[in-house]
Amino acid sequence: MTVRLVEPDTLLLEGECPAEDAETLLSHLCARPAARVDWRGCEQAHAAVVQVLFATGVALQGPPAGAFLRTWVAPALTSRII
Amino acid sequence: MNELLQQFLIEARELVTQATDDLLALEHTPGDAGRLDSAFRAFHTLKGAAGIVDFDAMARALHAAEDALSQSRAQAQPITPARVGDYLTCLDQVVQWLDHMEATGEPPTDAEASAAAIARRFGEVPAPAPAAAAPGDRWVRDLLEGSTAAGTARTALRYRPAPDSFFRGEDPLKRVEALPGLLALRLEPAGPWPIPEELDPFTCRLVFLALLSGPPETVEGLLEAVRDQVDIVPLDEPTADQPEGSSLPAPARALLEAQVRLLAGHGGEGASGRLSSAGRVAVNVLRHVGEAILAESVSRALAASEEANDAGLLSSAIGMALAGPAAPSVEAEGSGAPSPQETVARTLRVDVERIDALVKLTGELTIAKNAVGHLSRLAHKGADLPTIAAGLKDQHALLERLMDELQGAVLRLRVLPLRHVFQRFPRLVREISAELGKPAQLVTEGDATEADKAIVEALFEPLLHVIRNAVDHGIEPASRRAAAGKPDLATVHLRAVRQGENVLVEVQDDGGGIDVARIRQIAAERGVATAEAVTAMGDAEVLDLIFRPGFSTADTVTDLSGRGVGMDAVRTSLARMGGRVGVETRPGKGTKVRFTLPFTVMVTRVMTVHAGGQAFGIPMDMVVETVRVPRGRIVRIGAAEAFALRNRTVPLVSLTGALGEARHRPATGDANIVVVGMGAQLGGFEVDSLGERLDVILQPMDGILTGMRGIAGTTLLGDGRVLLVLDVQEMLE
Repeated sequence: MTVRLVEPDTLLLEGECPAEDAETLLSHLCARPAARVDWRGCEQAHAAVVQVLFATGVALQGPPAGAFLRTWVAPALTSRII
Repeated sequence: MNELLQQFLIEARELVTQATDDLLALEHTPGDAGRLDSAFRAFHTLKGAAGIVDFDAMARALHAAEDALSQSRAQAQPITPARVGDYLTCLDQVVQWLDHMEATGEPPTDAEASAAAIARRFGEVPAPAPAAAAPGDRWVRDLLEGSTAAGTARTALRYRPAPDSFFRGEDPLKRVEALPGLLALRLEPAGPWPIPEELDPFTCRLVFLALLSGPPETVEGLLEAVRDQVDIVPLDEPTADQPEGSSLPAPARALLEAQVRLLAGHGGEGASGRLSSAGRVAVNVLRHVGEAILAESVSRALAASEEANDAGLLSSAIGMALAGPAAPSVEAEGSGAPSPQETVARTLRVDVERIDALVKLTGELTIAKNAVGHLSRLAHKGADLPTIAAGLKDQHALLERLMDELQGAVLRLRVLPLRHVFQRFPRLVREISAELGKPAQLVTEGDATEADKAIVEALFEPLLHVIRNAVDHGIEPASRRAAAGKPDLATVHLRAVRQGENVLVEVQDDGGGIDVARIRQIAAERGVATAEAVTAMGDAEVLDLIFRPGFSTADTVTDLSGRGVGMDAVRTSLARMGGRVGVETRPGKGTKVRFTLPFTVMVTRVMTVHAGGQAFGIPMDMVVETVRVPRGRIVRIGAAEAFALRNRTVPLVSLTGALGEARHRPATGDANIVVVGMGAQLGGFEVDSLGERLDVILQPMDGILTGMRGIAGTTLLGDGRVLLVLDVQEMLE
């Protein structure tokens, strides 16, 4: 599993997160509205996962490991218009 | 080269020809709807063919042209000459690509830039998808304003993946990642987000906005599969020569971008081949321009890609190299397409009927063979000789007829209509006439006349030279034409006609004719012939001087030949294919240059002669006549001999003497002389006796005899003797 709940309010995204992770992630986030996502170990994420991060506006702890995520996606998420 | 590609090349060339014909016709009659339709169909089919061989750049260029044509068709707009020029340029480019493919078996890797240039020519009709460049594309402005890298951006992209993208296993983010030269990325929701509980994680509602330093064409190619979901807006090219993001020289960039495009092709057969070839090209390009570090990283990505069988890694590595920081480095030298090697068509389109004729002949030959077998059995059983002799005679006659037919049928396989070479000229005359500012049209006649393939193919250059001369020097300046009461538009006729065993090809202009007096003067000045000789010559002989080497020299390049190639080159190339060239001119009326070519190169009709116990063949098309001359009328001039024929002095060569065998000759009696002609020049061969006339298939001299002068080739006579066929031209020199 590339999505893990480690502390009561911290979700870890690790390695390459496939589209299925989006659902898991979303259900966790719905259950814990105050949770944050630590994606420092995330190499790659499917657009569906990124969409969940985007749509929920969850707080992110980064930067992510993957170069593309770090360079382009993370900044795009922080400047998002919700 | 695989068959698909071969077929593609053949068809594409035919389509280009068709389209060129139609366009030239449209230039004369812009309203011709039939021609317009035909041109449109040709472009359309060409585009489809390019798609089949996965040559996307070509397909794109043609698509742009096709769009423009289709618009003209829809709006019934006449096509302007400038537009015709655009279409022709597009076809030229296509021909270059085809040449490249014929030479290398692959589409050129640098076709992107040229395709883009073509598409830009038809700019009013934006090439493929981006119909969305609606006024005030706000998102583009926002994107540009919000980005520091806006100055180097060449493409703005809005990508709205379909809502069911995720379901279909797509990852839009990965597509974005693979784009070259990403400068800015923005994410937007397709609409207001619902509350998390109502969000469907598998419905894509993301919108990607991006600025890229890669050219729009490349981006478009990469996003081909989701074309309906993207808006691509080309931005003005950066003002600096090269984008700040990269200091790669333009040709290198183009090559790298082409590799990215190549990788975007969907998997399937050949995907791994594409991967490794794209990777290798990219690495080489980067090394070549001195970007060792980038080359190394691309090379690593290639290895990783090959291992994972995923082109994405490689394509993004190349993308990074394109956008990445790179120190200015060694300039790449013109790394364009390899110059198309001399493209000699190796395929032949043959009419099915001709093949059928061969099949039928084979059947008849089998029957004849069986009949001979039967005769041999009869002989074995001791049948009487007269019966067998009669049977053999019949079968021999039959076989002779069949062999004749077979020979004819095989030769006809090699025969092509002259259209293949003629069709290139209307276009060239259009250009030459524009270049020289002399309005001229080309009228072609008899282009269905057939000749051997080798001849049809070799005719282009000499014809080009002669036609160029006709426009350049034959046709007078407008003022002189007007004074002579000639129409402004000059006409050059190009005609072909079959005459017995020969094919005549003539180029005739309606210009001022050749000034014979001036030729005399030039010839004497340049030492082509002595002043006395020139004075003694008749007009026809003087005219013939233009074919002499040295007549057209470098300082007359602009004045007379335009290309620094003299008419002697024309004569030489004609001679090489067994033909001759002659010129006729009428002051004030024009000039006619005539090529006399053998119908086939394989069969030569010769007259056999005997001299010194050896049989020689003299090509019939060189023989003017045979005469008997009393020896008393042969005069010795120094080491040479000559005789008078109808008030002309004709040099005489004794065949026996010329081939090294000295022999005492009787001083009385008559000499048998074969008079041969080359252009206006005559010569005589003295022979012992005349023989029959034969059709021979000439074997060129090979081995140690290759360099032997005076002999064109050999053939075997029925009795097993070798017939040496003379090269008359060399003998007389």
